[in-house]
Amino acid sequence: MPAPRSLADDLRSRDDATLAELLAGRPDLAAPVPGDTASLAARASTRVSAQRAVDRLSTPQLQVLEALVALSGSTADPVALPALVRACSAPRARVLPHVRHLHTLALAWGPDAALRPVRAAADVLGPTPAGLGATLREAHGTRSPARIRDLVEDLGLAGTGDPVGDLDAVAALLADPARLAELLADAPPASRELLDRLTWGPPTGAVPGADRAIRTAEAGSPLEWLLARGLLAAAGPGHVVLPREVAVALRGGAVLARLDDEPPALARTRHSPHVDGAAAGQAAEAVRLVEALLTAWSAAPPPVLRAGGLGVRELKRLGDRLEVDADQAAFWAELARAAGLVADDGEADAAWAPTPASDDWLDLPVPQRWAELAGAWLRTSRVPGLVGEKDARGSARTALSDDLDRTAAAPVRRMVLEALASLDPGEATSETALLDRVRWQAPRRVGALAPRLVAWTLREGAWLGALGLGAVAEHGRALLDQPPADVAEVLRRLLPEPVEQVLLQADLTAIAPGPLVHPVAAELALAADVDSRGGATVYRFTPSSVRRVMDLGRSADDVLAFLRGASATPVPQALEVLVRDVARRHGRLRVGTASSYLRSDDEAALAEVLAARAAAPLRLRRLAPTVAAAQADPATVLDVLRSMGMAPAVEGDDGDVVVRSPTARRTPPRQVPRPVTGEPPTPSAETVTAVVAGLRSGDSEAVRRAQAEADGTGEPPQLTATDPASALAALRDAAAQGRAVWVGMSDAAGRLTVRQYSPVAVDGGLVTALDATSGQVRTMSVHRISGVAPA
Amino acid sequence: MTDGPLIVQSDKTLLLEVDHPTSAAARKAIAPFAELERAPEHVHTYRITPLGLWNARAAGHDAEQVVDALIEHSRYPVPHALLVDVAETMDRYGRLRLEKDGDRLVLHATDVPVLEEVLRSKKVAPLVGERLDRESVLVHPSERGNLKQVLLKLGWPAEDLAGYVDGEAHPIELDEDGWAIRPYQQQAVDGFWDGGSGVVVLPCGAGKTIVGAGAMAKAKATTLVLVTNTVSARQWRSELLKRTSLTEDEIGEYTGSKKEVRPVTIATYQVLTTRRKGVYPHLELLDARDWGLVVYDEVHLLPAPIFRMTADLQARRRLGLTATLVREDGREGEVFSLIGPKRFDAPWKDIEAQGWIAPADCVEVRVTLPDGERLAYATAEPEEKYRLCATSSSKTRVVEQLVRANPGEQTLVIGQYLDQLAEIGEHLDAPVITGETSVAERQRLFDAFRAGDIHVLVVSKVANFSIDLPEASLAVQVSGSFGSRQEEAQRLGRLLRPKADGRTARFYTVVARDTVDADFAAHRQRFLAEQGYAYSIVDADDLPHAGSAAAGA
Repeated sequence: MPAPRSLADDLRSRDDATLAELLAGRPDLAAPVPGDTASLAARASTRVSAQRAVDRLSTPQLQVLEALVALSGSTADPVALPALVRACSAPRARVLPHVRHLHTLALAWGPDAALRPVRAAADVLGPTPAGLGATLREAHGTRSPARIRDLVEDLGLAGTGDPVGDLDAVAALLADPARLAELLADAPPASRELLDRLTWGPPTGAVPGADRAIRTAEAGSPLEWLLARGLLAAAGPGHVVLPREVAVALRGGAVLARLDDEPPALARTRHSPHVDGAAAGQAAEAVRLVEALLTAWSAAPPPVLRAGGLGVRELKRLGDRLEVDADQAAFWAELARAAGLVADDGEADAAWAPTPASDDWLDLPVPQRWAELAGAWLRTSRVPGLVGEKDARGSARTALSDDLDRTAAAPVRRMVLEALASLDPGEATSETALLDRVRWQAPRRVGALAPRLVAWTLREGAWLGALGLGAVAEHGRALLDQPPADVAEVLRRLLPEPVEQVLLQADLTAIAPGPLVHPVAAELALAADVDSRGGATVYRFTPSSVRRVMDLGRSADDVLAFLRGASATPVPQALEVLVRDVARRHGRLRVGTASSYLRSDDEAALAEVLAARAAAPLRLRRLAPTVAAAQADPATVLDVLRSMGMAPAVEGDDGDVVVRSPTARRTPPRQVPRPVTGEPPTPSAETVTAVVAGLRSGDSEAVRRAQAEADGTGEPPQLTATDPASALAALRDAAAQGRAVWVGMSDAAGRLTVRQYSPVAVDGGLVTALDATSGQVRTMSVHRISGVAPA
Repeated sequence: MTDGPLIVQSDKTLLLEVDHPTSAAARKAIAPFAELERAPEHVHTYRITPLGLWNARAAGHDAEQVVDALIEHSRYPVPHALLVDVAETMDRYGRLRLEKDGDRLVLHATDVPVLEEVLRSKKVAPLVGERLDRESVLVHPSERGNLKQVLLKLGWPAEDLAGYVDGEAHPIELDEDGWAIRPYQQQAVDGFWDGGSGVVVLPCGAGKTIVGAGAMAKAKATTLVLVTNTVSARQWRSELLKRTSLTEDEIGEYTGSKKEVRPVTIATYQVLTTRRKGVYPHLELLDARDWGLVVYDEVHLLPAPIFRMTADLQARRRLGLTATLVREDGREGEVFSLIGPKRFDAPWKDIEAQGWIAPADCVEVRVTLPDGERLAYATAEPEEKYRLCATSSSKTRVVEQLVRANPGEQTLVIGQYLDQLAEIGEHLDAPVITGETSVAERQRLFDAFRAGDIHVLVVSKVANFSIDLPEASLAVQVSGSFGSRQEEAQRLGRLLRPKADGRTARFYTVVARDTVDADFAAHRQRFLAEQGYAYSIVDADDLPHAGSAAAGA
């Protein structure tokens, strides 16, 4: 197979499995589905996509890419694998996997003998890959031909009379370690020191008058000694740069000091056999706190601030209610939202209220509930730790507001958990070690917030009960790679078994020495107030709690029978007396609902109405000789009475007693907020296969078209509209390879012309190209180009 | 997961299942740092408080021991957050230390940022002097107590290592003739002495005076004893004469009537807190001698001014005695910082089980208000309500009935309202002792009661404390200071001296049904119910009219 001429070419030659790997590794390439390999390559070459891919690289992968970019230079020269291996200061076996990875991800392409980085990837790395400055040709290319001649002379080289040839000669000399060493042997120590400072980057230094013209003879300072010999070049009037080849030579022919392909060790700081227990206890607590939050917000949903989010005062109120500080309160609120349990109800006076999904959640057993919370936590991009900090405008960030999403949050959280899970059970490590590990794993992705994200992950993991005593618990481990049901099962085994009986005591308490089975718990919660929760629940009977259960129609005997059945011990006399006492008083006063009332001092008149058939729809009930209650509104009662020939009078409207049962607020159904990862979702294996198949058919279509075009020789092809990214990529490729392409362009009159061009440079939306027919160089603006096809 | 007897709750209470085979071991493990809050029949409740944790630190326990004890005895996983909180709280104690440096008192920090933090507090600034170096700052010796108090409030309790003055030596020995100090009393004395200063918690009737005497015998120095009232002062005096080598001449009484300052001086809180024209004329008593020991009786009643005075006594050993650290005013923290941490504690039922205090039956007798009184009650102003129902005429009949039903028992009728007591006294034909009764008359009546010449005494709240009436075996409470839990405990305590024939004491509370009286009674009883005294409840109509004891329903 001939060597591929472009990334598209390279991709076309890959097998399905490799393409599938690419799409899985860079999900953004598959959404939307690319039509053919050319557009796949074009999309892979955009800066945005390349940046995403580069940001996901680990430290050694990034290092190898930097080395490749540095060797390849701005001219995108192909690099042979042995040279790359040498540049990485590591044996081939250690470098190769990373090269393969870059190749698979289409950040590099070409055969081993001629590897090239994708230009966009090089751009992402910036102008000084691996801390290396511009190449000699670029660094000295800004000099006037006269000064290049001076340099050649000062280096004792024979001039060629041609500036380009002269520059090549200078480059050849300075890039040769042996000859460079010879040259430096005479260098003043201070000059050596200067070079040493720049060798490992950053390669530039600020000096005034960097672009002064200096000859060896007049070089006074150590700096001038280097400038005169071209070992440093001016990078503007105030900066000098160490040319790339010189730096590589000074680095002993390598680009990297070492390849950091060993993940930083996680030093074991602590070991405890109680991790699972402590975390499981906390997990139960987490579920309880979220439940308490839902209860609180169900009864009194806090308002949504006009700018979105939850007010500081409401947050404090929540903290008081949950008996936690504001940081933790913010965490629980965010967690409840991330799990889809609370949402903005969307009313005119918007409030944060439980969602219908929260009712389903409340019906689940504790382990399942935890698994859902923990899953949401692991995925969410929300960072509650930022609550209370000042944003760019100087106002404090509020919980549940829009500016708490951070793309690095979810990856860091997962990395921390994975790092902890890589330790033996019960082992903890230090925050610094975790930070080092996370930074090594994705140096570009974790960003400046990384130290705090790691700290917050540890803090939140402990609150949630995924971590205990600084180590990851068994159920926290399961969270990483197991479905929620399995996570819940792991946790269930760690939590106490439900109990069926309580202990009743003479101090009017009932103690459930473990989680109580549901029917008993529900009934007991009606008859007694909860005093304390945790592994056990302490209930306290008070007159008002007993009254509450009687309000639901239970008699004293019902309550006592229930207690006898639910208790492992006899019912204490004091409790029995309490129940009987309340029962005795219960219902002494009676309250009912009436829509209106009927009052008459004349008992006979009232009796007449009550007896009348026409009044039956009013559902009148006599409360006292002179008073009757009606289950119809006053207007209806008036109408009916008047129709009966009576002359009723209205008695004002404050007799109207309407008892409404309190309503629990719910939002309309709401979607679980999608984590803001900046990434499209990872495509499923099926999707990937389908996309690859689509690419293949797109390619064969393109080949068929190209074939048809080739048959009509020299004729401009029928150009299909190409999207700008593909067009640009095709033009860049053509420029890099010096190939000619057909370019379709609309002229000023709107007519489409198709001509053959050899693009020279593509930059800033402008294409400079040689017109093959006229031999003129033209500069075209990219937006006028409607299509590009290989000539 | 173990199958321990302990359940750790998220609100930092610990539930101890009493019948569990290892509950004794668990109790022992958690006792140093957790306060017993309730001790009903099946499950005892302990609470972990910062004060309790610091008490434990003061006694030399570290966070690891506490965490281990919780994990080892806990039946279920202990929430991580709680363990962290325990460790962090304990870690706060002792970061600051009060130390002696020659003659100077120095606050020394093992953690400089903590020192910086507290020095920045406005409350600390006036109490300290010159900064000596990064880690220490000079403290005015007179501010030792205030500083400790402020630091405790700031959450950084200081460890007081500055020691004590020996005081003026005075020979005092226990005179164990015909009696012996009980083992728990000896433990209490030793616990106090090893700790330097602090509080001993013992139930009423468990012999707190002996603990005081034991402490004096250890100190062998001049001692100031602060007690609640004159009668109690006399009792201390006679007890000390009986139990120690001290003679009449060595014990002084400093009360409203006498102002003697002797090697051992017993003073009342009242005389110390008497104010004339804005000054406390008797305050100088505190400096009248070089006291080697200050004993505070009934420390839970210590009035606020005494706290302030006590702040100046930090160089002297201080012993607090009480039946309960529960203060209705919530000043437990001041007791901790100014008198000292709790050094000894024993649940009532434990001591009862050992036979040192008499067992007691508590019975609540419910009466129904007559219709006329019910209407008056229903329409009364809120502040009048308690008085109206507590002094119901129906109670007087029930008291009479109860007393008649138990002839021969030494009986106390205790109440709050003087006219009610007068009425009851008249009905029962029994003497009435109130605040208005002269000290001599009180003494005479108490002596007659002890001797068995009088069987029934009607007393007001003057008899709440420190009156030793060993043979009282029946008490009827008709009214009280609203919902005061410690008053209830004190009143029961009157009955708990072991009886010669080992019989059970009986404590009746007469309560008007369906009124605030019943609500207050429920609140008052909570403490005793929590200590394991189960109240039984009977209806006044079900009381036997004559003959022997009225058994609980």
